[in-house]
Amino acid sequence: MSGDIEVVGVFSSDVECAHAIEQLHRTPIRGFHTFAPFPSEHMAEATDEVRGWGRSPVRKFVLAGGITGAITALVMTVGTSWEWNINTGGRPIASITPYIVIIFEMMILFGVLGAVTSFFVKSGLPSFESSTGYRTRFGADRFGLVVKVAESDGGKIEALMRDAGAEEVVREAA
Amino acid sequence: MAAAVDQSNHQLTYLDVDRTAQRVMAPAGLKYWLWVAFCAFLVAVGGAFWTRQIYEGLGVTGYGQPTLWAVYITDFVFWVGIAHSGTLISAVLFLFRTRWRTAVYRCAETMTVFAVLTAGLFPIVHLGRPWFFYWLCPYPNERYLQPDFRSPLTWDFFAISTYLTTSTLFLSMGLIPDIANQRDISTGWRKKFYTVLACGWQGTDRQWRNFSMAYLLLAGFATPLVLSVHSVVSWDFATMQTPGMHSTIFAPYFVAGAIFSGCAMVLTLIIPMRKMLHIEDLVTIWHLDSLAKVILLTSLVITYSYSTETFLVWYTQDPIEMMTFHQRFFGLQGYLFGGMVLCNCLIPLLLFSPSIRTNTIWLFIISIFVNIGMWLERFVLIAGSLSTATIPTQWKFYVPKITEVMITIASFGWFLMNFSLFTKFLPIVSMTELKEGVGWLRKSARNTYPYRKAA
Repeated sequence: MSGDIEVVGVFSSDVECAHAIEQLHRTPIRGFHTFAPFPSEHMAEATDEVRGWGRSPVRKFVLAGGITGAITALVMTVGTSWEWNINTGGRPIASITPYIVIIFEMMILFGVLGAVTSFFVKSGLPSFESSTGYRTRFGADRFGLVVKVAESDGGKIEALMRDAGAEEVVREAA
Repeated sequence: MAAAVDQSNHQLTYLDVDRTAQRVMAPAGLKYWLWVAFCAFLVAVGGAFWTRQIYEGLGVTGYGQPTLWAVYITDFVFWVGIAHSGTLISAVLFLFRTRWRTAVYRCAETMTVFAVLTAGLFPIVHLGRPWFFYWLCPYPNERYLQPDFRSPLTWDFFAISTYLTTSTLFLSMGLIPDIANQRDISTGWRKKFYTVLACGWQGTDRQWRNFSMAYLLLAGFATPLVLSVHSVVSWDFATMQTPGMHSTIFAPYFVAGAIFSGCAMVLTLIIPMRKMLHIEDLVTIWHLDSLAKVILLTSLVITYSYSTETFLVWYTQDPIEMMTFHQRFFGLQGYLFGGMVLCNCLIPLLLFSPSIRTNTIWLFIISIFVNIGMWLERFVLIAGSLSTATIPTQWKFYVPKITEVMITIASFGWFLMNFSLFTKFLPIVSMTELKEGVGWLRKSARNTYPYRKAA
């Protein structure tokens, strides 16, 4: 049995790269990843279709962060007011209406922290190991598709990429 | 110009965007460093005056009963206001998918972060004992003082710190893909610097998927935040019983004013910047025209707010409020009010003319007037209202002394120094978003032509 290889396709257009990703449905691939200099909607849609990904899990962390922030602020404001328990002018010890401002701000703060933290964690950052198949041009003006496949199927993937419009197709050891 | 884009063909490419951004970040010349040194000198002079104020006390300022909030609080509100347009352009217009923001939003976001940093200094400068600045923070303490969560000043602490954190994270996250791009093409110490800052970003599908969602949600959070922060700042004044300040329209009035002054500051910064850094092909007249329209709109809102505020005072016939406003219009500081109306309400009307909106010199001049006008507005509102508070025998007009003047000038030096340093070490235009909207950029280049011809 032959070993796995990686086929790297370089595209000048995100539409062509997306087309190649769509074609991967019909091939015995072991895995793939893409590179792009900007978030291409075409590539994102094609990738989601092949992988069956839903929406990013970041949103769940943001929701959790927002709820945590709001509850933290509520506990902090009401709790410390009861702890000090000073009657000022007959007003309620814990005045919820003005506390809403602080609850709102802390909900946003924790939600934002949740968004940034989950972005780093879910994206595998920070990482100082280069992904396989990466070229510096993928950060500038080219789109990349890297497909892991058995060596015997490498030819099919190369042909698929060329048909989709790849400028360059390279076979590398996995 | 080595990497100038051939606009006659309107064929802006991804590489053109990269080359232009890289040219901006090329090692700086003598003029740039002289400018930074000049800004640093202003900061040093301001620092010296502040040191003297700390040593001798607030008596070296013009502060005194009844005006105990004056230039420093004016500066605080001014810089917080400046910050707001950055969030408007980066977050609110992002949610509305407004394409013209792509070329200017990084500049506006950077301005936001440095403006909030500058604003945050002023409550500390305003303190008689700044080494106890941490008493501003609401925390359980040994003095048995209750953190009063009902106080607008406490709200302010939460609002400003949340705003600074959010805008810094928003800016930093958006920078990551562009920094990674710089990492790939840099050499020497810059490569090491960008390698650390890029955190290993490579633009994979997984990274972009999470990035896009996180960025969208950050924009979603920043949008209500920007409205809340300046509303909270306005409540510092509106919840007081002081005539001239006790008004329910302050929140929307302050938010509109913040966007107005912030957009003007973006123009003040970006017009010379695009000339000096040769980025006319990325930041086109079309972008400046769009910003000018926002300034015009918010100027009209401001004019309406001034009118409504005045009308309500007349309508309620409250004698103390009437007297305060009479003093504001016709008193010893009436010329400040006149200047404010001229700068904020009348001069921006020139922007109705398309030929002025597309003329960079006119835009720059108008933006300077708006900045001056908005500073005057806050000064009239704060120092003017306090100096003519309820009891006429206590009236005393506030005149700033050299200490306040130099510290205010130093704040501009501090802001411009940080902003200038940023432009040379980090991408001041978003390469990622410009590439994403390269088709729109071509359109803007096309739009530029008739404008240039007209200009």
